[in-house]
Amino acid sequence: MSLPRTVWNTIKSVVIGHSVTAREIATRPITVFYPEEKPEFPTGSRSVPVLKVNEESGYINCTSCGLCERTCPPGCIDIEQAVDPATNKKKPWPHSYTLDLSHCMVCNLCIEACPFDALEMLDVPELATYQVQDLKFNKEQLLDLWKTGKAIRIAEGQPMPSN
Amino acid sequence: MNDVLAAVLEAIAVLCYVALNAFVLIWLERKIAGHIQRRVGPLRVGGPGGALQSLADGIKLFSKEDFRPGGRDSLVWWLAPLVSMTPAVMVFIAIPFGQHLIVHDMNIGLIFIASISSFGLLGVFMAGWGSNNKYSLLGAMRAGAQLFSYEIPAILSTIGVVLAAGSLSLETIVAKQSAHWFLFPQILGFIVFYIAVLAETNRTPFDLAEAESELVAGYFTEYSGIRWAMFPFAEYGSLFTGCALATTLFLGGWHGPLFLPGWIWFLIKTYILVFIAMWIRWTLPRVRIDQLMDLGWKFLIPLSLVNILGTGAYIALVR
Repeated sequence: MSLPRTVWNTIKSVVIGHSVTAREIATRPITVFYPEEKPEFPTGSRSVPVLKVNEESGYINCTSCGLCERTCPPGCIDIEQAVDPATNKKKPWPHSYTLDLSHCMVCNLCIEACPFDALEMLDVPELATYQVQDLKFNKEQLLDLWKTGKAIRIAEGQPMPSN
Repeated sequence: MNDVLAAVLEAIAVLCYVALNAFVLIWLERKIAGHIQRRVGPLRVGGPGGALQSLADGIKLFSKEDFRPGGRDSLVWWLAPLVSMTPAVMVFIAIPFGQHLIVHDMNIGLIFIASISSFGLLGVFMAGWGSNNKYSLLGAMRAGAQLFSYEIPAILSTIGVVLAAGSLSLETIVAKQSAHWFLFPQILGFIVFYIAVLAETNRTPFDLAEAESELVAGYFTEYSGIRWAMFPFAEYGSLFTGCALATTLFLGGWHGPLFLPGWIWFLIKTYILVFIAMWIRWTLPRVRIDQLMDLGWKFLIPLSLVNILGTGAYIALVR
């Protein structure tokens, strides 16, 4: 390339570059000051799968079939089926349902596997604790989480809620 | 005795100003970088807009472990930060901040600044050699080539001003600009000088000496804590002196159109040039070493020679 052309190209690109950065200086920053102001989480954000109560019957939908336990890739779900002490027969609800969030990879597969609509994905991200053991949620804690959080069901075959 | 006392006080005043200036410039740099990238920059530490961030950084760096690399060349490694910081501070004594507001007005002020600021290269090279690290040495080699190459256009571009003013004393040069600044007859010299100042202070289009993506941190890879802090300290000190020199030589120093004190005009012009340097830093990508050398030797030096020739011809024929 000839020298005048190089010089011209250099000046042109420098001017264009500086006009871009000048525009950016004048633009408002997109920073969200997190602890003071909460960001809007997009629809379908996932934080923890929780157990859900059937609004009509008032009982949990879980039948302790164990499909979520078997689907879970990291194996963080642990279900113990309820047993009637008198007859020693198995009952269709869980005696204990433990979810270890420290292992959970929030893949949503347990919710897609559940045939009884018993699980929901929570979108509350602030679940940090000081102890790893505190991330092990039992049945009651999972139900509490469901009650407090804004739960969104994004299982297969269900339409995405449109906010 | 009084002379000694005066010298000590002058040194303390200059050091305080250099330290304060470096703190402000580092904070300003981070704010500008943030806003160019649609962030907000430092904000949480305290002061208006997080202005105390640099102070907090300074305290942190002071309290860090004094880590020394094994296999270093002890004396050279230990002296290098001091050697690179001293000229950056020394240059301040010849800069006229206002009329009679100068530590020492020398009749060879310009030559003094040019020769003293060249010593910065020695510190860089000592750091590169003393660290016994390949990245440090590569960075120092690049810095050597770069600073040596750009010293020449920086000095040649000021000769036009010296010819026009007929003096090497910076106070006289500014006094000669009371009617009109040297910017417009010397626009070529100003452009060459400003680019050369950017290269001499290792600022980003020309920061090959510390190119993070290639050389870790260049010549100060092996430094940490307060020893490391001396290098940015020197860098921002010499950025300020480079811009202050450009103001003195081309932008009329303390002269201004309104009735403000001269030193305010001087600082306004200097900090505008500093802002432009930071703006350039966060806009342009780093050049390659061969492009750097091409720009210096094939473009800036001929341009500054043309400037000297034109100015000389004008003075010889018209005056």
